[in-house]
Amino acid sequence: MVLSGWAAVFFWVFAVAALVAALLTILARNAVHSALFLISTLVSVAALFILLGAEFIAGVQILVYVGGVMVLFLFVIMLVNVSAEERGHELLFNRPAQVAASAIILALLSLGLIYAIRQGYDGLLKRDQDRITPAVAAAQPPTQPNATRVMRISQDTQRVGGSLYRYGSIPFEVASVLLLVAIVGSVMLARTTKQELAADDVDLELLPELIATEPELAQEIEKLAETQTKL
Amino acid sequence: MANLLALFAPPNVINELLQRLSLSPETINYVVWPFIQIGAVVTAIALWALYATYMERKISAFMQARLGPMRVGPWGLLQPIADAIKLLTKEDLRPDKADPYIFFFAPFISVAAAFIVFAVMPFGPDWGVITDINIGLLFVLSVSSVGVLALILAGWSSNSKYALLGGLRSSAQMISYEVSMGLALIGALMFARTLSLSGIVQAQGLDSIWYIFYQPLGLVIFLVSGIAENNRAPFDLPEAESELVAGFHTEYSGMRWSLFFMAEYAAMIVVSAMATTLYLGGWYFPFLWRIDHAGYHSLFVLLSLVVFIAKMVVLLYIYFWLRWTFPRYRYDQLMDLGWKWMLPAALLNIALTAFAVFTVQALDGWHGLKTIESLTRGVNLTWQGKVIMVAFGIAGLFIAAAMLSAINWRSRDFNLKKQRRQVRLVSPPQGQPAVAPAPSES
Repeated sequence: MVLSGWAAVFFWVFAVAALVAALLTILARNAVHSALFLISTLVSVAALFILLGAEFIAGVQILVYVGGVMVLFLFVIMLVNVSAEERGHELLFNRPAQVAASAIILALLSLGLIYAIRQGYDGLLKRDQDRITPAVAAAQPPTQPNATRVMRISQDTQRVGGSLYRYGSIPFEVASVLLLVAIVGSVMLARTTKQELAADDVDLELLPELIATEPELAQEIEKLAETQTKL
Repeated sequence: MANLLALFAPPNVINELLQRLSLSPETINYVVWPFIQIGAVVTAIALWALYATYMERKISAFMQARLGPMRVGPWGLLQPIADAIKLLTKEDLRPDKADPYIFFFAPFISVAAAFIVFAVMPFGPDWGVITDINIGLLFVLSVSSVGVLALILAGWSSNSKYALLGGLRSSAQMISYEVSMGLALIGALMFARTLSLSGIVQAQGLDSIWYIFYQPLGLVIFLVSGIAENNRAPFDLPEAESELVAGFHTEYSGMRWSLFFMAEYAAMIVVSAMATTLYLGGWYFPFLWRIDHAGYHSLFVLLSLVVFIAKMVVLLYIYFWLRWTFPRYRYDQLMDLGWKWMLPAALLNIALTAFAVFTVQALDGWHGLKTIESLTRGVNLTWQGKVIMVAFGIAGLFIAAAMLSAINWRSRDFNLKKQRRQVRLVSPPQGQPAVAPAPSES
């Protein structure tokens, strides 16, 4: 795809915005500001998806990442209340060993990136050549006229749905089961014995065994008993 | 880019007028006319937000045997304008320890997210719509899901406890109800077979039925989740006056506060317009097409706009009606309703609709029964097919009621202790994996 005209402007504006916002995500001192810059990156990438003609992916990107995941991120940041403003004078970069490690990773990544860009560029040039050839262009799937028959809109959504449920159905199902297991597991792990004690939700038969492993629990129980008698 | 969205030409009168100003057709179709449409829609929504306060105060007054605003203008009709002038001239306060940038931008995010959605709303046929995009429905859902960010950021940046609590509540609430809202729409999409909003309206027109008859359960779930998404009573926990002063906008005043207010009323229109588009047949009204066939195209489009707005206003009235008749939910009841009632009902609706569509397709041609006319642009059914589908829709209400009461039967008696005793993955003292559930004799 050789960019020209307004498409090129569109691409450069959003590509640069995505990169700058990504940089600011890691440079911002305030966790909420970081999250906001990450949102800007995600929105810019969604715009690039639109440029690629993958509008369904762009919509899902906004819906899932900005509307869901980032809202939960912010939710967690506010619940945990990271007081980053107080730690404003810490160093932005870490010790030399860590800087060296990240520099090596950066070098490897950029090597891979250069290779990928060269490969992709060749492929794209070839695809554009194919498009120009009338025989290949005729074989492209036809676009449906839209509801008002003024212009034709692409069939991207149907294609994504078809390939997801036809060819990718097993990985799709496996991924969803994996997420469910992760949710159940995190709930079980996050609920500590102390919380259960406070909610009066601990198994009395298991209590002696639990105290044997965690001696501090006995003190907790005494404290709780005191407050309850006070009430 | 040209294949992503479709813009529409202006009506002939305006087109000729603009061409007389020596503008090229491209400029008219792509710049001037869209801007006229956008201006009209934004003005209409802002005016609506103003007069919705009037409507709300009048309705609440009549429900409580009062008169409501009566002083400014005849029947108090100029009251909203007086309020707007008051808000505009108020001092714009900012708390000392607030985060200046986020506090400044949060209301704008809120308003932008609520207003951008109107770009794809199919208010009418032909020039009655600003644009029609391939992913219309997804666009509406995703952009309105960004609106919740504004509430959280406003709550956090105010640096106030009440505001923060309101922000956290709103995010938890909106995420819970967004899921069932999205899932409720899938039933209607199975009939329309497109995500383009104009396409969905067109599919209902071709099938000559409103999807409320196929999807009564879907409409109920969508409306309840939609009201919860808008933080309106009885789901107005994020701004519960009796607990949180004013929730996320406690620290806002003047124009910034009114931006939040405007966004809330615009979001109400979004939900009602979506419900109209998906379930009430959009701008279709029986026998209205005859006007178009008689040759009065512009009149037809105008009447269609009126029909769409009339359907929307009926739904908006439900908002006010609910607000002044129901008490607020408790927070745990709100979460219960979202996760234990709305979500299973939405999932059941998808399964039932899929089964119904499958059955109707399977019955086609069985014992000379003809149920399907065509499947090219949405599901088009014959009258037999329609009867079967409507029967499925009504049966769905009862099936859902039965299933939900079965799921939630004594769900509050869920006993974690008992569950722990039966399912013991790790025996605590040794930390070894247990082979079998421990006997509960001790």
